Amino acid sequence: MITAGLEFCDVAKAFGAVQALRGVSFTIAAGDAHACVGENGAGKSTLLKILAGIIRPDRGALSWAGERIHFSTPREALEHGIGMVYQEMLAFPNLSVTANIFAGREITNRWGVLDERAMRARTQELLMQLHVPVTPDTSMQHVSTACAQLVQVARALAFDCRVLVLDEPTTSLTDAEVDHLFGVVTRLRQQGVTVLFVSHRLPEVYRLCDRITVLRDGQFVDTFERATTPSDDIVRAMVGREPPRRVPHSSSVPQFPSSPVPQFPSSPALQVRGLSRRPAFEDVSFQVAPGEIVGMFGLVGSGRTEILETLFGLATPDAGQVAVDGQAIYVRSTRDAARAGLALVPENRQRQGLFFNLSLRHNLVLPLAAKQGVGLIRDAGEETAARAQVEALTIKAPHLKVTPDALSGGNQQKIVAGKWLATTPKVLLLDEPTKGVDVGAKFEIHNLIRHQADAGMACLMVSSDLPEVLALADRILVMREGHLRGELPGAGATEETVMRLATHDVDLDRPAGGNA
Amino acid sequence: MKQLWQVREVSTLMILVLEVAFFTWYLWPSDGGHPFLNVGNALLILKYSSIYGIAAIGAAIVIITGGIDLSSGAVIGLTSVVTGYFFVQADWSLTASALMGLMVGLSAGLASSWLIVGMRLPPFIATLGVMGIWRGAGYIITEARFYDLSAKLPRNWTVVGVSIDWVPPLVMVALAGTFQVLMKRFQWGRAIFAVGGNETAALFSGLRVGLVKTTAYVTAGLLAAISGVVLAVVQGQGKADLANGYELDIIASAVVGGTSLTGGRGSVAGAVLGALIFGVLRNALPQIPGATFYDRVIVGLAVIVIVVMDQIMVRRGEA
Ligand SMILES: Nc1ncnc2c1ncn2[C@@H]1O[C@H](COP(=O)(O)OP(=O)(O)OP(=O)(O)O)[C@@H](O)[C@H]1O
Ligand SMILES: [Mg+2]
Repeated sequence: MITAGLEFCDVAKAFGAVQALRGVSFTIAAGDAHACVGENGAGKSTLLKILAGIIRPDRGALSWAGERIHFSTPREALEHGIGMVYQEMLAFPNLSVTANIFAGREITNRWGVLDERAMRARTQELLMQLHVPVTPDTSMQHVSTACAQLVQVARALAFDCRVLVLDEPTTSLTDAEVDHLFGVVTRLRQQGVTVLFVSHRLPEVYRLCDRITVLRDGQFVDTFERATTPSDDIVRAMVGREPPRRVPHSSSVPQFPSSPVPQFPSSPALQVRGLSRRPAFEDVSFQVAPGEIVGMFGLVGSGRTEILETLFGLATPDAGQVAVDGQAIYVRSTRDAARAGLALVPENRQRQGLFFNLSLRHNLVLPLAAKQGVGLIRDAGEETAARAQVEALTIKAPHLKVTPDALSGGNQQKIVAGKWLATTPKVLLLDEPTKGVDVGAKFEIHNLIRHQADAGMACLMVSSDLPEVLALADRILVMREGHLRGELPGAGATEETVMRLATHDVDLDRPAGGNA
Repeated sequence: MKQLWQVREVSTLMILVLEVAFFTWYLWPSDGGHPFLNVGNALLILKYSSIYGIAAIGAAIVIITGGIDLSSGAVIGLTSVVTGYFFVQADWSLTASALMGLMVGLSAGLASSWLIVGMRLPPFIATLGVMGIWRGAGYIITEARFYDLSAKLPRNWTVVGVSIDWVPPLVMVALAGTFQVLMKRFQWGRAIFAVGGNETAALFSGLRVGLVKTTAYVTAGLLAAISGVVLAVVQGQGKADLANGYELDIIASAVVGGTSLTGGRGSVAGAVLGALIFGVLRNALPQIPGATFYDRVIVGLAVIVIVVMDQIMVRRGEA
C-alpha cells in the first residue's frame, strides 16, 4: 500500500569500531510525514547525513520512486531536492541572517550580482511565517540559540524541496514556536513534500507524523502506524525492553514522587532584585531557596537565557542586585560567578558546553578538577570518576578517550549536563539541560538534579520543554517579553496555566517583577 | 543603523588621514618647501605602497577564508626575476615578460591550494614550504646575478597616456575596487566569507569549499605576482632577494585594514588602506631626525595600537 517514495536498503556505516548503522532498510511513502526515533546514539543522524550526501555509507543503497539515488556531496543532495536541518545547528556567525539562509544558494541577477533586496524580502517572509523575532540584517552571532534553530529551519524552507529532513529541529523551542513550524511543514506537505522528522519529544512526533520508524543500536526495529500505536509501544521498541517504571504516558517525562515542600530558610541561596539588561529583560526579581528547583519558562525571545547568562557573568546588567546566601555579589566575569558558588549548564553545547579537543574523560571531570583546584591530575581517580558518570548517564561511547565530536548529539548533551551535576555549586543554573536527550537518560538527569537539590543545592532551570518544567520544578517563573509575568507553584500548575501566562497579556498572579 | 565611523573602511581611512596630518604638522619646515607634503613625495609613497597594497588584497582574501599566505614575498621576488629574465635575457616585450611573471603567482597559488585542499596541510605550513621553494628558485635562476631592466626600459614612457609613475597606484586602486565589489556583491565573495566563518557549515550548505579555497590562493598568488611586476618596473631590477620579508608587512596591512586572522571578517579596500598607512610610516619616519634607529619599533607599535583601537571600536559598535 505504500507508494514507493524514499527507500533505504540495507544501509550500513561504521565509524572505526563503532557500528553506527547495521543494515537499515525501510521505506517512506511519497508525501508522507515520517518520523525516525530511537535512543541517543541509535544512528538516526547518521542515516540522515547519508541521505544528505555528507556521509558515505559502507554498503546499502537509497532510492527515490524506485530509482537509485546516490549523493556524494551535500551539494548534489540539495540539487536533488533534499532540504535538511542539521542537529548541530550550523551557522555562519560572521554573516547576517539573510546571508545565512542563502549561503551557497544566493539569488543573483543576470549579471551574477547578488540580489540583496530579493533575498531580504524572502528572508523577511520566512521569519514572519515562523514568527522568529529577529530582523534579516541581524548578525548571526547576536541571534539566540533558539532563534538560530528557527533560522536553520528557515534555511531549509527557503528553497523548494521534495524531501524535507528535520533532525531534532525543536529542542530549543516551546510549543508556541513548534506550532508555527508545524503549520509551515503541514502546508508543505499539502504541496506534496515528503517529511522526515527526528525528535525525542514523542508528542510532537504524534502530532506531525503518520508513520514512525524506530531504530535501535543501528538496527531497524519496526515501522509503526501512528493511528494504531500507543506511545508506550514506541518507547518499548526504542529501548528494547519494558520502559523504566515511572516513564509515563504520552508526555514522555518522568513524574517524581511528590517531593517534600522545601522549607524556606531565612536566607535564600539566590536572590535577584530588579535585575535589568535592556532590551533582553527588565526589572526581574525572584529568589531560589536551597534545595529548591525553580523552573523558568517563556517563549523564545522572552529573555530566559539572557537572565542566566547575566547571573553567570557572561553579560553585564544595567541594574539590579544579586545575592548568594544573603551576601551581595558583583559578578563581572564567569570566574567571579564560579567563586560565588554559581555554575551554569549552557544552552549551546557546540559553542559553549564542550571542549572538542579534549577526550570524553577530560570533558567530564574538568569542572570537578577546576573546583578542587588541584594542580596535579591523578589519572586513576579521574578515570573512576569519569567511568561512574558515563554509567550513571548511560553515555554511549566506545571508550573514554574519544573526543565529543564522535558522539551523537544527545550523548554530547549528557556530558554537558553531567559534568556540572557532579560538582556541588551553591546555585546551579541549568539552560535546557536535557536538550536532545532520550527518554531514559532524561529520567536519569532529572534524578540527578533532584538528588542534588535534596542535598541542599538551589537550582534555577530554564527549559522550553514544558512537561519537563512541570515535572521537576517546585515553583515556576514565567517570562514574557523580558518581564517576569508570574509565578506558579509547581504542584498545581498545568501546561495551560503556564502557557497562558507566557503568551497572553493577562497577569494571573501578582506581577512578581516588583514593579507593582 | 551603523554609524559611519563604525564602517571598517572609514575608520581605517580616518587613521590614515590622522597619520598624514600628524606628519604634516610634525615635519612642518621652518623655511622652504615641505619635505613630506609635496606631490613628488606623495607619488613616491603611492608607488611603493602599491607593491604592498596589491598583494595585501590577496592576503586579505586568503585570511578571510581562514587561511594565511606566507609566500607573497617570495612570489614578488621570483616574479621580478622571471619578468627580468624574459625581458632582458630573452629580449621579449615587456607585456609578454610580465605575463610570464604572472605564471609565478599562478603556480604558487595552485601549489599552495593543492597542498592545503588536496593534501590537507595547514595553510601556514603549506605556504611556508611554497615560500622557501619559490624564493630558492629565484636564486637558482639568477645565480646571484640580477637582471637590469632599467637599461631596456624607455625613459619617461607612458601607458595609455598616463605617466609610468602613476601606473602602479592606479592599478592598485582599480584592483581594490574590483575585488571590493567581487567580495561584497558576488556569490564568490559571499562564499569566501562563508568558508571563513564556519567551514563545516559551508560544506553542509553545499558550497564547494575546496574550490573556493583554491580560487582564494590562486587570486592571492596572481595579485602578488602583479606586485612583483610592478616592483621589477619601479626598481628596474629582477633580483632573487627582492621583497624579502614582505609577506609579514603584507599580512600586517590586511590586519590593520580590519581583516581578522580568525577568518570570516575583513575587507580588501581596508587592506589597501592598511598598506598606505605603513607606506606613509616608512616614508616619514626616516625624515625625523634621530628616529632612524626607532622606526622598526614604531612600526611594530603602530600595528598593535591600530588593531587594539579597532577591537575597542568593534566592541562599542556591538554593545
Ligand atoms: N564522526 C563520528 N565518529 C565516530 N563515531 C561517530 C561519529 N558520528 C557518530 N558516531 C557514532 O555513531 C553512533 C550513532 O550516532 P548518531 O549521531 O547517528 O546517533 P543519533 O541516533 O542521532 O543520536 P542522538 O539522538 O543523540 O542525536 C553513535 O554511537 C556515535 O557515537
Ligand atoms: Mg542525532
